[in-house]
Amino acid sequence: MKNIFIAITILFSAFVFIQCTEDEVTSTENGTLKLEFDNVVGTSNLQLNTSNFAFENALGEDFKVTWLSYYISEVRLKKEDGTYFVDPVAFDGSTGFYLIDEADAESHVIELKDVPPGSYTEVTFKIGVDASQMTQGAQTGPLDPSIGLFWSWNSGYIFFAMEGASPVSTAEGNALVYHVGGYKTLDGSPNLVNNIKEITLTFNGDNPIVDADEDPQVHIIMDLKKFFNGPAGNISFASNSVRHSPASCVDVAQNMAAAFNVDHIHQ
Amino acid sequence: MTCLLASHLTFYLTMRVILVVWLALLILSCKEQEVSNPYQFVIPDNFPESKYSFQNNPITKDGFELGRMLFYDPILSRDETVSCSSCHQQHVAFADPLHVLSIGVDERVGTRNALPIQNMAFQQFFFWDGGVNHLDFVPINAITNPVEFDESVGDIVDKLNASSFYKNQFNKAFGEKEVTSQKVLHALSQFMVLMISANSRYDKYIRNEGELLSTQEQRGLLLFKQNCANCHSTDLFTNGDFLNNGLDTDENLDEGRARITEFNEDKGKFKVPSLRNVALTDPYMHDGRFNTLKEVLQHYSNGIKTSSTVDNRLFTNNSPGLSLTEDEQNDIIAFLQTLTDESFIKDKRFSAPLMPKQ
Ligand code: HEC
Ligand code: HEC
Repeated sequence: MKNIFIAITILFSAFVFIQCTEDEVTSTENGTLKLEFDNVVGTSNLQLNTSNFAFENALGEDFKVTWLSYYISEVRLKKEDGTYFVDPVAFDGSTGFYLIDEADAESHVIELKDVPPGSYTEVTFKIGVDASQMTQGAQTGPLDPSIGLFWSWNSGYIFFAMEGASPVSTAEGNALVYHVGGYKTLDGSPNLVNNIKEITLTFNGDNPIVDADEDPQVHIIMDLKKFFNGPAGNISFASNSVRHSPASCVDVAQNMAAAFNVDHIHQ
Repeated sequence: MTCLLASHLTFYLTMRVILVVWLALLILSCKEQEVSNPYQFVIPDNFPESKYSFQNNPITKDGFELGRMLFYDPILSRDETVSCSSCHQQHVAFADPLHVLSIGVDERVGTRNALPIQNMAFQQFFFWDGGVNHLDFVPINAITNPVEFDESVGDIVDKLNASSFYKNQFNKAFGEKEVTSQKVLHALSQFMVLMISANSRYDKYIRNEGELLSTQEQRGLLLFKQNCANCHSTDLFTNGDFLNNGLDTDENLDEGRARITEFNEDKGKFKVPSLRNVALTDPYMHDGRFNTLKEVLQHYSNGIKTSSTVDNRLFTNNSPGLSLTEDEQNDIIAFLQTLTDESFIKDKRFSAPLMPKQ
């Protein structure tokens, strides 16, 4: 009896072993992994330009959204064996930068190409465009300043832009304006703020497997409700409806970093 | 037979001589080209390292010439009435000779006195408040500013793409007909980084190129070193810092550098400007409040206003002002005049280009 057990175990592990090696043999070709960014407000899907104030922040203040865009950059995927796939970044912004624009459904999916086969455990990315890119001079592609996410007076990109309206906003036209940016840190100017956030989201064991035949898709949720209510506090539209400079965005930038979550993975 | 051999030999020898001479000529001409290529970026001996990202935007003749055309072309403004050269004119080192505060489209008045454009490749921060930290991004500011061009970057790209003349120029410069904002900015930068002013009498004196300064000018240089060079330092005549040189009291302090840093202690601080060609770039200071160098020297001597951010280098024995005598002020002015670079303001490379009728 015991012997049969041992025999089965050996056979089984041999089988697993063979399967594993077979697996490795068949998937030496690189594949694609997709990151889908799905913008929501709490439990509702985000919609632009609703006719009424369709959404509510954590303080119960109603609002609507007219514009939501943000930059994702310097994406890295961590493999089970601890190695990284690093999405290449071009000096002129033509690769490695992604503008997620709520108004453009196609922009919601980032395709990472030429990813080595394997099982991946986490994804890391930055929200925004950091100093190392800015020292390279004029940018193109998703970073073309004509897209309208460039601060000309304080040169730099708006990392995350949300505009809309709330009946409690005291700004002209009840406007809501949140433009998060600011990457400049200089010796001797400790007061300049760096709002660049790098975040890592783990796949919690539900690892996407990349190989030549499979394009797994990671479904990431960005919850705007958390942008207004997160680790750095609860933002009231009544008292804080317009923010568009680096220092004034320190708290929303911290909330922003906590607004992203991996929801599920399509293998 | 021997004759044939001999003739072969002479032929062979002459060929060799020709080859050697030809090679020597080639090397010589190459060398000559190296020193005289007017589109090559050469750092003057008395200048620091450059700050511009040349690796991403190498200068070519066609790129430079395109930048020059764009600089002089009002196509960049909303109503096509204003060009970069409206506010930046060569005969005054590309400062604005007419206006205390610059005038843009619809005669709108700005809040700042135009800065000269010179030695841009050596500068880290642009504009009086230093808000822009790369030369490529400077034109975006002028283009989108409602008191300058009041235009959008996208509209300019569309206008240029609609011009077959410009599409050809972009093709020559960048190998692609399609105009993008990046190419517009790169071309303008290629033009501006070559605008080096380093041939004033002072430069030739300091580089021992046979120029002498008068005794008054030398006295002025010494006084300048003692009183001014801790801020207007190096041969660029700026330490690149943002400081308050005592123009206003706390009640009237302009936001200045604080607009960028959002830090109260930076109120009233402005970029220490270079003083090259300063005799040409009147009026002076961020708001153009002084018309003459005499007024500037009077300010430093006994017009310094105290405030919470005024720089303590402008005090003598704890009282405001550098207390310079009338003669000392005149000596410093005489020295400042040696910083005028005639060859820069007359350099044909930077003058208005001949544009074909379109
Ligand atoms: C309406 C007048 C006006 C026009 C047009 C204009 N400028 Fe300026 N320029 C200014 C003023 C005023 C400043 C200083 C503003 C400040 O510092 O706040 C300036 C500053 C600059 C500087 C910064 C210099 C330094 O030392 O920091 C550069 C470079 C420059 N301009 C280039 C350009 C270019 C290129 C164009 C055309 C695309 C242009 N300007 C168009 C008025 C103008
Ligand atoms: C504490 C640093 C400091 C010292 C010392 C100093 N300056 Fe300045 N200078 C500045 C700053 C800052 C500005 C720009 C101020 C502004 O526009 O608000 C300036 C502006 C100027 C300008 C105007 C330039 C232009 O293009 O508008 C001139 C001319 C000048 N300084 C000359 C001098 C002379 C001459 C001395 C010595 C007698 C001197 N400075 C000493 C900091 C200094």
